[in-house]
Amino acid sequence: MYFVELAVKGLVYGCMYAMMAVGLTLVYGLLRILHIAHAGVFALGAFVAVIVANTTGSLALGFVLATAVSAILGVAIYRFAYQPLLAHPPFVPMIVSIGIFIVLQEGFRMVFGAYGIAFDTNPWYVSTVELAGVRLNQVEVAMVIASIVLLVGFGLFASLTRAGIGWRATVTDPQMATSFGVDPIRVRYLNFIFGSGLAGIAGALVGLLNNYVEPTMGGLVSYKALAIIVLGGLGSVRGTLIASLILGVVESYGTIYLADVFDRDAIGFLFLIVVLMMRPQGLLGRG
Amino acid sequence: MQKSLVAAALAAGLLFAGSAAAQIKIGFHAPQSGPAAADGKSSTIGAEIARDWINEKGGVLGQKIELVIYDDQNKPDQAVPIANKLIGQDKVVATVSGSYSAPTRAAAAVFQTAGIPYFSAYGVHPDITSGGNFAFRGVTLGPPQGKGAAKFIADKWPKAKVSVLTMNNDFGQSIADGFKEEAPKRGLTLIKEYTFGLGERQFGPIIASVKNDNPDVIYAIGYYFVGGPLVAQLRAGGLKQPIVAAQAFDSMKLMEIAKDAAEGVFVVGGMDRQRATPPDLQPFETEFKKRAGYDAEAVAANCYSAVMLMADAIKRAGSTDPKKIREALAATKDFPMLTGKLGYFNSVGEMYMPLEVTVVKGGTFQGAAVIDDTAILAPPGK
Repeated sequence: MYFVELAVKGLVYGCMYAMMAVGLTLVYGLLRILHIAHAGVFALGAFVAVIVANTTGSLALGFVLATAVSAILGVAIYRFAYQPLLAHPPFVPMIVSIGIFIVLQEGFRMVFGAYGIAFDTNPWYVSTVELAGVRLNQVEVAMVIASIVLLVGFGLFASLTRAGIGWRATVTDPQMATSFGVDPIRVRYLNFIFGSGLAGIAGALVGLLNNYVEPTMGGLVSYKALAIIVLGGLGSVRGTLIASLILGVVESYGTIYLADVFDRDAIGFLFLIVVLMMRPQGLLGRG
Repeated sequence: MQKSLVAAALAAGLLFAGSAAAQIKIGFHAPQSGPAAADGKSSTIGAEIARDWINEKGGVLGQKIELVIYDDQNKPDQAVPIANKLIGQDKVVATVSGSYSAPTRAAAAVFQTAGIPYFSAYGVHPDITSGGNFAFRGVTLGPPQGKGAAKFIADKWPKAKVSVLTMNNDFGQSIADGFKEEAPKRGLTLIKEYTFGLGERQFGPIIASVKNDNPDVIYAIGYYFVGGPLVAQLRAGGLKQPIVAAQAFDSMKLMEIAKDAAEGVFVVGGMDRQRATPPDLQPFETEFKKRAGYDAEAVAANCYSAVMLMADAIKRAGSTDPKKIREALAATKDFPMLTGKLGYFNSVGEMYMPLEVTVVKGGTFQGAAVIDDTAILAPPGK
């Protein structure tokens, strides 16, 4: 039972990682930019959620605004930082992206205070449900449900709708897609709206899960989500999802059986190194 | 050209005039930007309150105290130039570190070479004081804190089986070392030790394992921002055992984050906010809240007391000669720090102070016990 519980906890983290990492992989797939500032978008989502929820008392409104504000920030980063630099080699926007992330992180500290903010009321956090002997709190359940709904929804959108097919076509071959009448600029906006909105929701959920929103919380995304998208095969959404879940489970067992030797984060990166030694293109990357 | 020369000369004259006006300069550095900025802000406000109150009462030796404050960004490579600046340019007579171990440790060597008394208000790394006789520390070292926790647990729950959850930095490890050394001597059984990083906020696997181990008591070592989520998740995971925590759980944020789950958590080395002694504790808390907008932490209280102690040492030295200040500091006896009574400093500048144990009750920290045992809390010598 105990082993099952560890696996379940790992899968919950996997869902959390998936929601953080998908936006990153979408941007990489489309523009070949390592969008480090995504971590700042994630943290902004958490801050908006906690502040709105604490001032208005409505968690739902907090989530809506967190999603919207994060999406707007993501689009703004694309429009004002990446678009003017697309003609340059990818490391140029990446350096800009790191800069934006640092500015955001320090900005959160100055605007929202260095001590971080807790939710005034967070009923889900302490109430638990027991599923087949495994105890989860309701935020964890919400995290799993949200990630499944949103990512399956995204999958359906990408394979069934015209805009979604156009999107996938643009990722595969931008020139060809453009000549078939797909507007690449629109696809990019869509990309940032979806990826950043998802990061905002993930940020809000992680804030609830910890009951604590802090200026440095994007740090986790900045390195772990990067490791995940590399592990999954850069730009592959399916690879990212699988890598997220595997990493969650590996970390879960690693925390217990390897923590005397390695930090939980070190376990993730060790796993990354081992996988890349065998599959340099990542789990589902195209070689 | 001529004009600017005159202006420069005038400016230089003004500068000299400024430094000639009787002011006793005490250096102070803390991380005011970067990830450690929260504690840096608290520690700076704490130190400033001490300065203001000393000056309101007429200062020291008839002179006002001036704090020369720098932001060390919690970086050793910033702390060293700051130390040089404080010594060479600002000509401080003593310095207080309101910073973490890494920058404090780096700066301590510079102050030692220059022969300037240096006081680490809450940096716990053993090497801070090991470089020489000019460095002092205002907080109990990790190993004695861990030993104190072992005594507290063994007294309250004899023969208990304990699970230890340790944060894997120097702070966490040094406390755990002391605990693991003392616990078996007092009849405690250590089931298993789990470690986690400073950035950890999700403890699912660890909690599942602790549940599996089914200990009598859980001993948690970490900072409040790790402790808040940890305590909440332990309780949500169905673990009802008593939780005993290390000093750095001492923050009102603990209750904000963990809510009701924080009730009943014991903090070894915590600070009872309701104490009537020393007499400046309650006014300090009021003043701190007014200036900072949030409740005072032990970090702020320590920095306040550090500046107060430094002023007291200057007064007792009767001089601003750094060597005499050092001697006076070393001779300190029973000085009322806000966190407790500082008994004495040993030969390497480590202090002896009884450890207070607090418990969270009604959303605040209340005194639960005092560990005053020179055998286990005596600061380690060289």
